[in-house]
Amino acid sequence: MIEYYTFKHRGDALDFTDEVFLRLVPNLTVALFFGSNLKVAPKSQALLFSEILNSEEGSKSIEYLSSVFDECLDEESEYLILRVLKNGVECYRRGGVFAKIVKDGQIHVLPNGVFGLSKGDCIVCATSNFYKYLTDEGILADALVSGSCNDWMNMLIRRISDQCQLKCGNLSAVTLKLND
Amino acid sequence: MYDFDLLPGDTVFAIEVALALFAIAFVSFTAISIYTLIKTTLYQKKHEDKINLMCDVAYFHERGKRGNQEDSVYISPLDQLVQHGLVAACSDGMGGLLNGEVVSKYVTDTLKERYPFDFNDQMEINKMITGISDKVYEDYHLSAGATLVMVHIMDDLLNFYNLGDSNIILIRNNRATLLNNKQNYAAIMIKKFSEGGIDTVDAYKDSRARGLTDFVGNHKCNVQMTKRPMKLRDNDIIIVGSDGVTDSMPLNRIVSHIHPDQNATSIARMIKYGVKSSKNPRQDNYSAIIIKLRRSIV
Repeated sequence: MIEYYTFKHRGDALDFTDEVFLRLVPNLTVALFFGSNLKVAPKSQALLFSEILNSEEGSKSIEYLSSVFDECLDEESEYLILRVLKNGVECYRRGGVFAKIVKDGQIHVLPNGVFGLSKGDCIVCATSNFYKYLTDEGILADALVSGSCNDWMNMLIRRISDQCQLKCGNLSAVTLKLND
Repeated sequence: MYDFDLLPGDTVFAIEVALALFAIAFVSFTAISIYTLIKTTLYQKKHEDKINLMCDVAYFHERGKRGNQEDSVYISPLDQLVQHGLVAACSDGMGGLLNGEVVSKYVTDTLKERYPFDFNDQMEINKMITGISDKVYEDYHLSAGATLVMVHIMDDLLNFYNLGDSNIILIRNNRATLLNNKQNYAAIMIKKFSEGGIDTVDAYKDSRARGLTDFVGNHKCNVQMTKRPMKLRDNDIIIVGSDGVTDSMPLNRIVSHIHPDQNATSIARMIKYGVKSSKNPRQDNYSAIIIKLRRSIV
């Protein structure tokens, strides 16, 4: 069973320009839109991203979905789509949004494509602004210590807070754990 | 050029025997070489994920400006490193409470008594630490307590255990990371503030922020521990120490004081003098165990 927890914080920015979307049908799909770097209309781009994901297109393959995004969104849009499959996950990312996986006591960036998962594996999807205040070793240690996705996220936020007191622009992230 | 017909029969026979022996030796050498190569390749393939790391260990244990030493450290016997792994622990008696030095010494003495621990049975080690905490609670009823940070290293894997606000620091690629999460009120306030969508500046200003939410001596303590081990790498440096070290020497200063090629003793010396040179007028006891990991040569 996959457990997940999402986090969104405006930080010291005037508005939310990042977005976190979840779609449960046909499979759990996590999508993160990183609009903070967009110079023109980041809110409308985020809205368009959301509408595509919630439409019929959202249930189609990641390959197809990413081609729709590439066609409809600004070419500088940065986003990540992660879909949970039967024995793993499929990931597609563009720009400064990426997922990191904790597996066998090590942490790696999740590449684009299908990736097999085993029990106890943990994934964090976040924008580069979220990762800016974290080290891989910190993310790894918290994943190995925490009992749930909620715990893990709180520990990560504590680390970010220790660096910048959450005065750091939008923070958007999702933690996922494949439970024993 | 030789004409063998001109040689005596005995000499020809001797040459033939020598040639036969040489051929046998050559074939044997080739066979043994191929066999060794295959065996080595198979062994390397089987063990490529499991690298044996050697632990170079050093420590310092200083009183600072306090009248007594309330820190206590434990390092397991290094001759049992291969069989049972390395355990390094630091316990810091809680300031403001009586008997801090008694409790911290009790913690490390009990660890010494109970060693060795099963590396893969984190729950059993958790139970042991909880037992120590319960015993302190029964004896002192929250009038005394201590923190505990402990690492258990086996081959290239690390498990860690934490109660309170002491430090387990990993230095990798010239970057220091605090591995454990401090169990204090600041953590609770940060969680509340972040859930409320506001910044956490006030959480750090609050006078209760550094107050501990868990420690050795708390009733039914909640030991923070790795549920699965973390993989270590060659040249990793682990510092297990009391907050007296990091109060005077933040993580980035520790990194700037040491060099990755130094051994554990040199690193310990650099950190110790780094704390001393900060001339903190309220310097707490400061103790740390430094573990430097090196790929072992078999």
